This record gives sequence, structure tokens and C-alpha cells, in this order.
Amino acid sequence: MTVLIEKVAALSVPLVIGITALVLLFCRKVSFDTFRSGAKEGLACAVSLLPSLIAIIVGVKMLTASGVLDYISKMIEPLTSLLGIPSELLTLLITRPFSGSASMAAYSELMSTYGADSLASFCAAVIMGSSDTIVYIIGIYFSSVGVKRSRYAFPAAFTVMLFCIFFACFLSRIFWRG
Amino acid sequence: MLGKVFGIMCLISILFASLSGNMAELGGAVFDGAETAVTLTISLCGIMSLWCGVMKVLQGAGAIGFFSRLISPVFRLFFPDAEKSGEGKEEICACIGANLLGIGNAATPLALSAIKKLHSDHVRKGGAADCASRDMITLAVLNTASANLLPTTILALRRSAGSSSPFSVVAPIWICSLSCAFLALILTRALGMKKGKKG
Repeated sequence: MTVLIEKVAALSVPLVIGITALVLLFCRKVSFDTFRSGAKEGLACAVSLLPSLIAIIVGVKMLTASGVLDYISKMIEPLTSLLGIPSELLTLLITRPFSGSASMAAYSELMSTYGADSLASFCAAVIMGSSDTIVYIIGIYFSSVGVKRSRYAFPAAFTVMLFCIFFACFLSRIFWRG
Repeated sequence: MLGKVFGIMCLISILFASLSGNMAELGGAVFDGAETAVTLTISLCGIMSLWCGVMKVLQGAGAIGFFSRLISPVFRLFFPDAEKSGEGKEEICACIGANLLGIGNAATPLALSAIKKLHSDHVRKGGAADCASRDMITLAVLNTASANLLPTTILALRRSAGSSSPFSVVAPIWICSLSCAFLALILTRALGMKKGKKG
């Protein structure tokens, strides 16, 4: 079953590219200039991430080098192993709700420390793919119309995120083949 | 936000390194980190431009509209006020569609205009202007669950980190993000019912 889903998943990128190719060939509404303008935006977006990424990756590397992460990970290990969450995910879990580039930095640091095919990196990828920066999103949405009382928005979003973490780690144990 | 995150990270690491004697490694980590950020950006540049270009083409051909039509049957269950008034319905569906396709830079403006319409409708019906309505909360919480069909950035990073099967995370991401999105919808609906439309 998991192998079958994986085959479908691997097809998805070629499928999207194939549809795009058909659109480019047969749809009069779009031209190659459409592609180029989109690609230019993507490039600008990637480059505009760099200044914050530099600061945050330096921060994550410093945290790792100082040894404080190992120390805390060891301290909370009994708790996290009880819950089925790899303790290496600590930095990622702390930064995820607040900042996209910080959690991205934590994610790539995790892969370079423990290997891209480790269970921790696998869990991290699933968490990254199914959660988002709660504080940033709710903040932007509500402040854009001057809403100050967000009522149950944060409690609900954090509950969903907690579920996401547990469920992602649970699924990773099923899908991961080391 | 980032300033605080960065500041706290640096202070904690300097404090801890001075206590544990890892100061020399800490200096190295600064140079190492700055370099890693550049390599990371370079490895992301290619796929991000390609994917934004591809999505722009699909967007031009009406893909967001297609996805929003797919979603609209479920819509009335979870956005009852917007369904009744029709205000912001199109934008919400389009925003969810853009999120599914992973077009973040199209999704945010759509979400903001949806929130604006929901808000003005909420105020017109006598709601407090500084208080979020239940549909606004549902949309915000749903978007934090980030249901995304193709997490290309994550795949690109896995590949560049040398994973032997970068795509193996796609299936669990689908299951997990869809479950989270459903949980978000059900949870906000339940909370919205309990607390009613007031506030």
C-alpha cells in the first residue's frame, strides 16, 4: 500500500510538468512569457529569503555548536521518546510556528547533521510539509483589517499543530525505510 | 519577529558555550552558517523559479478556478456565513486552490482580500470591528494547516542533502496535511458553534 502511494507521489511532478507543457502548446491564453514572468518572481523570492536565512542559519549553527541543543535534547529525551517524537526535532518544533525561514534553516541543519535519510529528517520533512507559520499567518490576516481580538484562532491553530506533530511522527514510522 | 528569534538564539549559544567551553566551535559556526545559507539559497533558486513559472502558466490556464470549483461543495459546511451572504466565497475557494497548488505568492493576496470581504460583511451585520468573525478564524486556521499537493521546496532540500529517495515523504505529507486541514475545519466549526456569532 505505502509503495503504491509512493509511486503515485513520484508521478505527480512529471504529471504537473506534462500538463504545463500541454497548456503551453495548446492554450492561447498563456505564452512562454507567462512562464518567464513566473520564474522571475520565483527567483526573486528565493533570493529575497537569503538575508534572513543568513542570520537564522548562523543562529541555528551557533546553537548546535554551543552544545545547548544536545543538552536539552538529552534532558527531554525520556518525554519525547514516550510520545514517539525524535528529540532531534527540538529546534524545528520551536521555530516552526514563528518563522518560515528559521524552521527551514532548522530543517536543513537537521538533515546535514543526522543525514537526509534518517527518521528525524523524515519526520521533519512531513512536519514542514503539513504545517505553517501560525503566528505570522494569523497576524498578517487579522492585522490587515484591524482585528485585535482573534478569539479562538490561536488555540485552534496550536491544537492542529500539536496533532500535526504527533501524526507526522506516527506516519513517518510507517513510511520511513532507513 | 526574526530579530527576536535571532537575538535569543545568539545569546543562548554564547552563554552556553562560555559555560561548556565550546567557544572555539562557536566562532567557526558563524562562518559556516553564513556559507551554508548561500549554498542553500543557490540550491533552492532553480526549483523555486521553475515551479513559480509552471504555476504561473497553470494559473493563466485557469487551474485555481478549477480547484476552487472542486472545493465548493464542501465550502458551505465550514463557511456558513460566507455561504449565506456570498461575500468572499470566490476568494476563499481560490485561496484554498492556490494553497493546494503551493502557489504561496498567489494565495496570500487572495486570502487577504477574502478576509477583507468577510470583515466588512461582519461589521455590516453589527459585529465588532476589532473582533474576528468565525469564518475569518476558519480561513486563517485552515491556512496554517497548509494542505499542499507538492511540497517542492522540501523535496529540493531533501535531494540536495543527498537523500536516496527524496519523494518518499510526499505520501505521508498528503495524508498528514489533509488530516490537519480537516481537523482545522472541524475544530473551528465546533468552537464557532459553541461561542456563537457574537463578540
